[in-house]
Amino acid sequence: MDKEAIIDKLTNIFRDVFQDPEILLNNEMTANDVGSWDSLSHMLMIEQVETAFSFKFKLKEINKLKNVGVLIELIESKVV
Amino acid sequence: MIFTSFNFLIFFPIVIIIFFLFPQKYRWHFLLFASYFFYINLKPVYALLLAGVTLITYIFTRLIDNPKFANHKKSLLVVNIILALLPLFFFKYYNFVNQSVFTFLDYMGIRWQLPQINFILPIGISFYTFMALGYSIDVYNEEIHAEKSFGIVALFLSFFPLVLSGPIERAPNMFPQFKGRLLFNYYKIIKGLQWILWGYFMKLVVADRIAIYVHAIFTNISNHNGKSLFVGTLLYPIQVYADLGGYSLIAIGCAKVMGIEVMQNFNRPFFATSMSEFWRRWHISLISWLTDYIYTPLAFNLRRYKIWGIVIALLLTFFLSGLWHGATITFMVWGTIQGIFLSIEALTNKRKKNFVKKYKLHQRGWYLFICSLFTYFLFAFSEIFGGATESVSQGFLVIKKIFTNFSGPIWYENPSMILISLSAIFILFFVELKTEYFPGKFSFFNNENWVVRFLSYGFLITIILLIGVFDGGQFIYFQF
Repeated sequence: MDKEAIIDKLTNIFRDVFQDPEILLNNEMTANDVGSWDSLSHMLMIEQVETAFSFKFKLKEINKLKNVGVLIELIESKVV
Repeated sequence: MIFTSFNFLIFFPIVIIIFFLFPQKYRWHFLLFASYFFYINLKPVYALLLAGVTLITYIFTRLIDNPKFANHKKSLLVVNIILALLPLFFFKYYNFVNQSVFTFLDYMGIRWQLPQINFILPIGISFYTFMALGYSIDVYNEEIHAEKSFGIVALFLSFFPLVLSGPIERAPNMFPQFKGRLLFNYYKIIKGLQWILWGYFMKLVVADRIAIYVHAIFTNISNHNGKSLFVGTLLYPIQVYADLGGYSLIAIGCAKVMGIEVMQNFNRPFFATSMSEFWRRWHISLISWLTDYIYTPLAFNLRRYKIWGIVIALLLTFFLSGLWHGATITFMVWGTIQGIFLSIEALTNKRKKNFVKKYKLHQRGWYLFICSLFTYFLFAFSEIFGGATESVSQGFLVIKKIFTNFSGPIWYENPSMILISLSAIFILFFVELKTEYFPGKFSFFNNENWVVRFLSYGFLITIILLIGVFDGGQFIYFQF
């Protein structure tokens, strides 16, 4: 799956989980940039990403997700 | 010595002067000495306990971070956690567990009780134990390498502004600062002193004045009517906030004077419009610790249950939060209530969001005001079990009387007590409202005009000296 496809799929997940149809992802985006992205919705997002891309995160990987860019790179490494 | 003691007012300036006279390279060494001097002054033997927890943490983090023991990392972490928690369990939870086991065995017809232990809880043990555990887990998770210098680890856990009551800081934030350049910075010193001054106002004027009234109400529940109990219930959260919030500000301000940045512990919590927002603004260092080290691993492992996994994680995390506050049924009830509040919000979040968006309520001032008020009432009523009363039955008695005995006059000792407390609350509320909704508008401490600044300092110092409580008062979070 190429990066564009990953970003498209991830954008749909973000818009659904965080209930904001206008979210546009960028590499530097963090929870501070999205009003409803908190520790509760974060885990819902993680679960949906796993289901959508058919892989499982490790807890250590979750702790190291500093921004959306890191998340996209991680997904890329998992789906290759 | 505590922050509000006369001894501390002598200790701190002396420490600062010597700190900045020391060569920059050795300032953290002096801080370590000063921190242990500070803690030993409380009770020398408990400094040994602090040193013991420090030693355990140092040894085990070095082992966990050593590639030679990579296959045993998890076991080492488990042993580290157990050993670090042992003193906390012993001093804080032993009697509760002992009594619970005895009650259960007695119910089964077996009379067998271990001896009660009546040691005073070492001040700060709940705080520095959590800091130690957080550091160990960070090393295990490879967030930070184990610190080679024992002195730096010792300073992290004993750092005198934080050791008694937090904020519960993190090694990745503090270690680089201790090892870095601790320079004289005029602006940081002024900022730090401003925070210290405001912290003293919150603690000595707001918290300790309200405490006199609230204490009189809640230590005599049967003799007060529902109205007075209701007023006490509404005042108690302000007391707790001004107490721990004020103390935290003094701690953060002391660190700032030395050029050390410590995390914020409160963010104007009474402007929260929901309980989840409230818990992002209240006792931030504790909640972020619980979120990172308890809630996240729990929610992660339960994520296949989607929203219900989050609900279970929330209930368990806040139950633990209650347990951290105290080994009593009341605190467990309090923690569970917080978990229930947040679970209900998590379950109804989507529907609420759609409703608010449909009618653009988030843009309406009256809606935000009602939400803040409702959130405050929820927290205030939960605090009946969170320290205001001493037992669950007392807590229910308070609630029952509020709803069935809401008649008669509101009790007060004398009118001046009311005026003073209300004035103090008004000043606190006015400043917080200004900061929340009009940031950057007219500033007192940071006004361009030096006359305004010095009048503000003078006004506050006068208020503290005139109506602050200087007879020792009480600091609620010392019991944790």
